[in-house]
This record gives sequence, structure tokens and C-alpha cells, in this order.
Amino acid sequence: MSQDRSVLITGCGIVSAIGLDCGQVLDSLLSVRTGVGPLRYLKTEHTEFPVGEVKLSDEEMERMMGIAPGTPTTRTALMGMIALHEALGQAGLSRDDLRECGFVNGTTVGGMDRSEQYYLDFIENDSRNAYISTHDCGSCSEMIADRFGRFRMITTISTACSSAANAIEMAADMIRLGEADIVVAGGSECITKFHLNGFNSLMILDHSQCRPFDAERAGLNLGEGAAFVVLEEASHAAVRKAKALARLSGYGNACDAFHQTASSPDGEGAYLAMSKALKTAGLKPADIDYVNAHGTGTPNNDESESQAMMRVFGKDLPPVSSTKGMTGHTTSASGAIETVICILALRNGFLPVNYGFSNPMENGIIPNMDLNRGCRLRHVLCNSFGFGGNDSSLVISAVE
Amino acid sequence: MIMEKKSVKILSAKQISIQNPLTEEWMDNPLSYSEDYVRAVDPDFKQFISAGDARRMGKLLKRALATSLSALQEGGIENPDAIITGTGFGSIENTELFLDALVREGEQLLKPTQFMQSTHNTASSLIGIHTKCHGYNSTYSQKGLSFDSALYDAWMQFRIGRIKSALVGSHDEMSPVFSGFVRKAGHVKEGEICSEAAVSVLMADGGDKAYCTLDGVRLLDSPSGMEIKDVIADMTAGGVDAVMTGMSGNAENDSWYGFLDDVLPGIPQLRYKPLFGVNFSSSATGFYAAACCLRDGRIPSVLTADAKPIECRKGILVVNVVEGRHYSFSILKAVCGR
Repeated sequence: MSQDRSVLITGCGIVSAIGLDCGQVLDSLLSVRTGVGPLRYLKTEHTEFPVGEVKLSDEEMERMMGIAPGTPTTRTALMGMIALHEALGQAGLSRDDLRECGFVNGTTVGGMDRSEQYYLDFIENDSRNAYISTHDCGSCSEMIADRFGRFRMITTISTACSSAANAIEMAADMIRLGEADIVVAGGSECITKFHLNGFNSLMILDHSQCRPFDAERAGLNLGEGAAFVVLEEASHAAVRKAKALARLSGYGNACDAFHQTASSPDGEGAYLAMSKALKTAGLKPADIDYVNAHGTGTPNNDESESQAMMRVFGKDLPPVSSTKGMTGHTTSASGAIETVICILALRNGFLPVNYGFSNPMENGIIPNMDLNRGCRLRHVLCNSFGFGGNDSSLVISAVE
Repeated sequence: MIMEKKSVKILSAKQISIQNPLTEEWMDNPLSYSEDYVRAVDPDFKQFISAGDARRMGKLLKRALATSLSALQEGGIENPDAIITGTGFGSIENTELFLDALVREGEQLLKPTQFMQSTHNTASSLIGIHTKCHGYNSTYSQKGLSFDSALYDAWMQFRIGRIKSALVGSHDEMSPVFSGFVRKAGHVKEGEICSEAAVSVLMADGGDKAYCTLDGVRLLDSPSGMEIKDVIADMTAGGVDAVMTGMSGNAENDSWYGFLDDVLPGIPQLRYKPLFGVNFSSSATGFYAAACCLRDGRIPSVLTADAKPIECRKGILVVNVVEGRHYSFSILKAVCGR
């Protein structure tokens, strides 16, 4: 087997608070426009928290995807379908092609939006039984994939906020090992009352617009969305004459092994994940032109991630930004959403801005606030860190 | 270095299930049940977890830690290079407590510990924290294919040369309320025991004492008959003693394994689900049972269709079919010279 089965990205799709496709998201990034605002779609008592909702109702999404009213779906699955539709279209993959493609989805909340709505029905009557089958993570991946045909294999990664990044890593391993020539990977997650309340119980939600890496940061804003990338072996893409958007040149996953919901003060897991990603890419820290940080806006994450980045990059710290001030924290989908943002930055020559920042934190990094349009990016690093200290980093590189 | 062919040693395999925990007593003296919902038989957790820690952990976490630490101890590895876990529902008891309070009592007094444990990767993380393992850590949640997905990932990690050892497990617990839900959803069918399982398997590139070797893992969605035939022919080329199936006695479920009569004629078809019940981690109990048979060189009568024991000297193909569409195949082989 060839040792150098390199992994290209030949399609991407995205749905988020700042746009319903790549074009809209690019426009928002270039206009530095936030999608975070007052609650509109989720029905919750906690209207005090700003959120990054996708600006579509479930019914509007069903119509977009041509799904008959009354068909059991979930918001997570619907957003996933819209993003996957764009990714497959961009890569030029038809229903028949999918028989040779793997599908790896990342989600944690799964169908909880319906379960929290119909929980008492599940117990007391049989009126909503169809939604019991949409509760688990795996069923969510099946609903997304089955809308477009039958893939060669399907699986689901559930590592909280690093789920989509880990899905992309697993997909890349499959391609490097010759298990498949194309694997579509990413993640999807809608906001639910369940995890809005969960994050609230952990006291890590900001009551205002979140401020990643700011001295006054007070927590995260929940977001939602979905994104998928089509990963394809280079020679396969060449034969198919598929256009390469970028290359996944390195990736790493490590465990902080510190605490279930907090990051270690020295960011050991994050440091290891970034170091592994650079090593597999065969790059030095100085080769990285931009870092899309996990940067949630919680006091703990941003301090720990700052320490880890300073350990990795030393004096060569490239421009860093968190785009969560615009998208909100899209939890399990964030790794894929931010991968697509990195691809947009690489292809359009700009540095995403760290919306919400104004005052530097003590011992922290100072994030990028300048779009720097027209800059040339060769390699960018994308961080995703989850509960349990599950830390993953991807290196995405420009294609010549 | 990336390897085309690979053989990984299974150093140990441990279970907590509806059979006696952390032992292979089920081989000769299985527990049998007439109820259709049975909770796991728990060991004394004190030897694994302090009382203070145990109070904060749900059943799934305690079992995951106990099977993991036992597997590591027997296999003689303290810090595996990778921790990869499957779970269909995660810690469903804490999820249910949080959900129930949210729905019935509103959104003001919810408990962070319950929320934290509802996250599916809590077990993988807990094992990482407990063993101080900073290596590869991942969690799969794909219904009854969760363990198989974790195993497939581990298999790839070995082949790609990233790791030399891995702790692979799958853990599912079942609350009374959700046991009703999974019946309604058809995840557990007529005639099947709705159960719980925690399984941890330690595998490594080397080691003197091994149960057996793992020589291949494949996952396929809706494969054609020809694809199934090719995969099985490739995996069983060296001969197998038996095939470990997910047949349970339920007619619809068992019909998914009908292809085995044609593809592997004359090869005994084993059943583990009547012993261990059905849950999203049940394929892990089948894999564990197969590894134990190869370790002991015998397949006990409790697993065979004709209730007669079989010698086990070559290998066992483990086949899992979920909802008639997701197929997983893994091949376990006897250690040479046994």
C-alpha cells in the first residue's frame, strides 16, 4: 500500500448562526457579523442567555429538504441534512457514488430536542413512539445519511465538543489505510433545553455576548449548526477530476486526563493534540499561519488554551482567533464548522476576527482583530476541545 | 508504519453483565432468567473505587472503571496508548434524572453532576483520568454497532502504527423507564431480555500471554450478498471453528443472520444473547465470549445450538447485524502453538 495516501477536502457544507451555506458564512466572516442574539426558536425559561441559533424553524428546514410534514426527524438531523447536501453537491457525488463512501458523524445531543418535548408521552402513551427511535446519536447519523442514499458504512463519534473533529480524524485514518477513497465527516448539533440547562448548571454561560480571550470573559454562548467535509484520497480525486479545496495535512487527539468538565492549568491535552497534529503534518510551529482556537469564552478554557498555545508556539505565535463570538459554541458540530471556516479563510485569504474581544487577559494570548484581507495562508490549525479533556487539533493546508 | 496485514493480541477481556461479574462462570454455570428486563450483577466496587468517588458515579461509570482496571491488571499494562469506548445511550440513568427534572419541575434546579454524566464520553474520560493516560481517546455511539465501531477504530490505530496497546470497551446501562422505551422502539424485541453490559478488552502488539489474536474488523452498511461473501471468505481463509452470531431467538432478528447458512455451510453458529441479553453494548459480550472460548480452547455447550461443546483451536468469526442493515465482522484466531 502506498505510504502517502494524502487526504484532500473536495467538498464542504455548513449551516450555522452566521449563514446557511458556505457563501453566507463567508460573507458574515468578512463583514464580522455575529449570529449570536436573543433566543428565537428554542422554547425555554432561560431567555436571558444569548444564543447562536440557525435562523430557520424546523418546518422551514423540512421544506428545504423536501421532507413530508409529520415524518419523524430532529433539528440536529435536519441541519445535518442541509450541510451534507451542500458538501455532496460541491464534491459532485451522486447517490450511486455514496455506496463507496464512508460516513462519520459527530453528535452528542442527538435527538434530545424531541425527547425533552415528548418525554411524558413516551412514558404515558404511544402517541410519540416514533421519536423514541430518534433519541440516540446513531439514529441521528442515519437520518442525515439516508436522505441522500446508502453509504458504505456509517458510524457516530460522541466525544462532546470535539466530536466532529474526531470524526474528521477517523475519516482521515480510513483514507490513509485504504479502507475507503472517500469518507464524508463532520457533525451536527441543535441547541436543546437539556444542554442549555446543563451548561447553566455548570455556570459557564455568559449572560451577554461572549468574549473569547477577553479579560472580562464570563462564559460561552451556546450555538448550533452542522458542517460536513468530503475527505478524498488525492489520486482518487485526480482521476475523478474533483476540485481540491484544501488538504488535511495533520491531526492529533489527546486526553487532558485532568477533570471531566475543566481543563488543566497548563493545557497539557491541548498541547499534546496540537503537537501531534504538527508532527503528523511534518510542520514546525512557525509554518502555521493562523490558529482557529477552541476559544469558548469560559475563564477556564481560554486560560488553559492560551498556555497550551504559548507552549507550542513560543515566540512564533501566529494570529489566533475564536470564531465562537459569531457562531456561538456549536458543541459537537464545532470541529467541522470551524474546519469549514478555516477552509474559507485559506481559499479567500483572510484572518477570521475574534468577535467580542476588547481587553487582553492576564497571561493570555491577544487574539486577532484584523481581517487582513489578501493575506496568503498556507497552513492553519483548528482546535476542538471537549468535556473529559478530549482534545483534538487539525492542520488544514492550502492546495497549490 | 502503515501495515496491510496485522495481528493484534487480545491480552484480557472482562465483563459485568447479567452473568456473574468479572468471571467466566457463565461458561459452565450460567445464570438464567425468566424476567424480560434484568439489571447487571455488580461486583463489590470497593476494590476498584473509593467510596467517595463511587457515590458520585452512576452505575455505567463504576462498571466501566471496574472492567477496565481488571482488564489492565490481568494484561499487565498500566497505561494503554489508546482508550476507545462504545456506548449506545451513555449514562442513561443520569440522563433520565436530568430530563425528568427538566420536564416535570422546570429549568431552575438542575444538577450539574447528572448533566456531566449524561455526556457519552464520560467513561472514556474517566478511565483516562484514572489511569493518567494522555493518549488517543475516543467514544462511539452507533446503537448496537457502538462497540464494533470502537473496535474498528482501535484496529486502524494499530495498523497506522500510532499505538502499541489499546483498552477497548463498550458500556450500556438500562433504567426501568428506558427499558420500556427501548421495547417501544424495537431496540429490544419479543423474547429478548433487555439487559445491561460493560465489557473491556485489552489489546496490544505483543505480549506472552494472550487469549487470542484479532486479525481483522470490517463495518458495512447494507452490503450486497456478494460483498458479505467476499469479506467472510477473506476473514475465514485460515479456517474457523465457529461463528459467533447475534441471534437471540427472535425471528426477525435471527433472519438477518440467514446468509450464514450459505456463506459458511457446516460451521456451527453460536448464540450469546440468550445468556447476556440485549442492549446497545451486547455485541461486546459476544466478542468477549469468543475471546474466552479461544483462550480456553473450547466452546461451552451454553453457546451452541445443539447444546454440545465444541473444540476451539482455530478461530471464531464474530458477526453482528444491527437492524438488518449495519454489519460488523471481526475475526479472532487462536494463538499459535496452543
